[in-house]
Amino acid sequence: MKGMRFAFLCREKPEPTGKKVAIIGAGPAGLSAAGYLVCHGHEVHVYDKLPEPGGLMLFGIPEFRIPIYRVRKGYEELENVFEVKFFPKTKVAFGNGEEEGDEFVENIVNFNELVEKYDAVLIATGTWESWMPNIEGIELDGVYPALDYLFKIKSAKLGHMSWDKVPPIDGKRVMVVGAGHTAVDAAMESLLLGAEKVYMSYRRTIREAPAGAYEINLLKQRGVKWLELTVPVRIIGEHGKVIAIELQKCKLGEPDESGRRRPIPIEGSNFQIDVDYVVFAVGQRPTPPFAEDVGIAVDKKGRIVVDSRHMTSREGVFAAGDVVIGPSKVGRAVLDGLLAAESMHMWLLGR
Amino acid sequence: MARRILHVDYSLCIGCETCQSVCEFIHHGKPHIRIYYTESGLPIPINCRHCEKAPCMNVCPSNAIYKDTDGAVIIDPKKCIGCLMCLAVCPFGAPSYEARLKVVTKCDMCADRRRVGLEPACSEMCPAEAIFFGRPEEVEDEIRRRTAEKIARERISSTVMESIGRIL
Repeated sequence: MKGMRFAFLCREKPEPTGKKVAIIGAGPAGLSAAGYLVCHGHEVHVYDKLPEPGGLMLFGIPEFRIPIYRVRKGYEELENVFEVKFFPKTKVAFGNGEEEGDEFVENIVNFNELVEKYDAVLIATGTWESWMPNIEGIELDGVYPALDYLFKIKSAKLGHMSWDKVPPIDGKRVMVVGAGHTAVDAAMESLLLGAEKVYMSYRRTIREAPAGAYEINLLKQRGVKWLELTVPVRIIGEHGKVIAIELQKCKLGEPDESGRRRPIPIEGSNFQIDVDYVVFAVGQRPTPPFAEDVGIAVDKKGRIVVDSRHMTSREGVFAAGDVVIGPSKVGRAVLDGLLAAESMHMWLLGR
Repeated sequence: MARRILHVDYSLCIGCETCQSVCEFIHHGKPHIRIYYTESGLPIPINCRHCEKAPCMNVCPSNAIYKDTDGAVIIDPKKCIGCLMCLAVCPFGAPSYEARLKVVTKCDMCADRRRVGLEPACSEMCPAEAIFFGRPEEVEDEIRRRTAEKIARERISSTVMESIGRIL
C-alpha cells in the first residue's frame, strides 16, 4: 500500500534555497505545489482549516473512489521525508464569514500577516461554499448542502467527528438534488449507509448529467429513483423538520449560454414525495482566504484572478486550483498546483 | 534487470485525470496518457501498454523502436522517420506525432525518471491507485488485494441494502 507521491519529482530533499513559502489549503492543488517546491529546495508551510491535510480527497470524495491510505501516506511522506510543516485546524482569513468545513478550526491566522512572513504565498483554498436555492423550507432541519453532508460522513469515517454528529442515514429517505459528481457521491454514500430510499432530482435529462450517464445508471441499478426533468419548488416541514419535498416537472427548451437545453417548468405538474433529508448538490463557490479588500482581484463568480504566471494582483501571492478555475477535478487542480509552483520557483529565484 | 510492467486497471479508475495532468506537466503540455470519455460516460485512460510482442516494434521500417532493460517499448527519435506505421498497427492508438520534432513519440514508462530511481509519474500520483508499476508478480498481487477489498465492499453494501443493519 503506497501513498500518492506529491513530491514525485524527486526522492529526497535537495540543498535548501533559504526561501520560505506558505501554502493555504492542503487539497490536491496545495499538496502538489508543496511537492514541487520541496523538490526545488524551498521550505514549505501548509495551512489548512481541516484536522488533516488532503482537502476534498479525504473530506469529500468517498473512500470507495480514493482510498484513505493513498492520501494519508502521501502527505505523511511530505511531512516526514521533505519536512513540510503542516498547520491543521488553522484558517487563514481576513474578514471572512462561515463556510462549510469550519467545524474544526481552532486557530485563525490573519491573511495579511501571513503574506508578510513568507517569501511567497500560494492560495489553494478551493470552493467550500455551496449554492443553495432560495425556496420555501430551505431553513428546515434535514436540508443539507451536499458538501456538508459528505464532509460529516467522511469526518466520522476518518475519526475526527463522532457518528452522533452525522445525520443518521440508516432507514431514512433521502432526496439528492443535482447530477454532478458531488450529487452522485451523496447518493452513493446514502445507499452505503443504509438509506431506505434514495431519490435524485435533476432539471435536465441523464444525457446532460455532468457526472455522465454511466454513474447515473450505476445508481439506478442500485435502486436509486432517478427523477429527471424535475426541479424542487418547496420543502415541506413539520415541527421544523423536513417531511416532504414538492417537485415540478420540466421540459427542455432552447439551448442556453452553456450550450445545454434550458429546462422550462410545466405549470400544474407539481407533485410531492415524502422524504427525511434534502441534499443540494447544485454547485460550489470559490472561498478565498479573505472577504475584504487585500489587494487581490476576484471575478464576478468569486474566482481569484491570476496572470499567466499564476500570480494574483498582489506581488508574491499566487493562486491555484478550484479557487481560480472553479469546481473541477482532482487532476485539473493537481496540474494547476504544479504550474503555479513552477512559476513561484522561477519568481523566487529571479528575485 | 527484471521485467517491470506499467498496468492501468480500468475498473479502479475514477476519471479524476491526475495521471494525464502529471504526464502533461513533465512533458511540457503533451501527455502520453489521456482520459477518453466513452458514449456511456465512462472515463478510460489510454496509454502505451508496452506489449511483450509489440506490433509497433515489428512494423517499424527504420528499427527505431526497441525495448529497454525494464521492458519499456521506446521510440528512438533519432531513428524515427515519422511514417506512422506504429500508429497504424498499435491496438491502442498510443503513438503520437510530434509536430515540433517531426517524429513519433509515446509513453516511455518515464525512462528518465527510472534512471534516477523514480517510478512512472502517473502511477506515483494516481489518487485511486489504479495505475501499478513493478515486477509482474508484485503488480498482480496488488491488484488481487484491491479486488478483494472491492468484493468485501460489495458484500457489505448488499448486506446494508437488505436492511440488516449499518456496517461501517
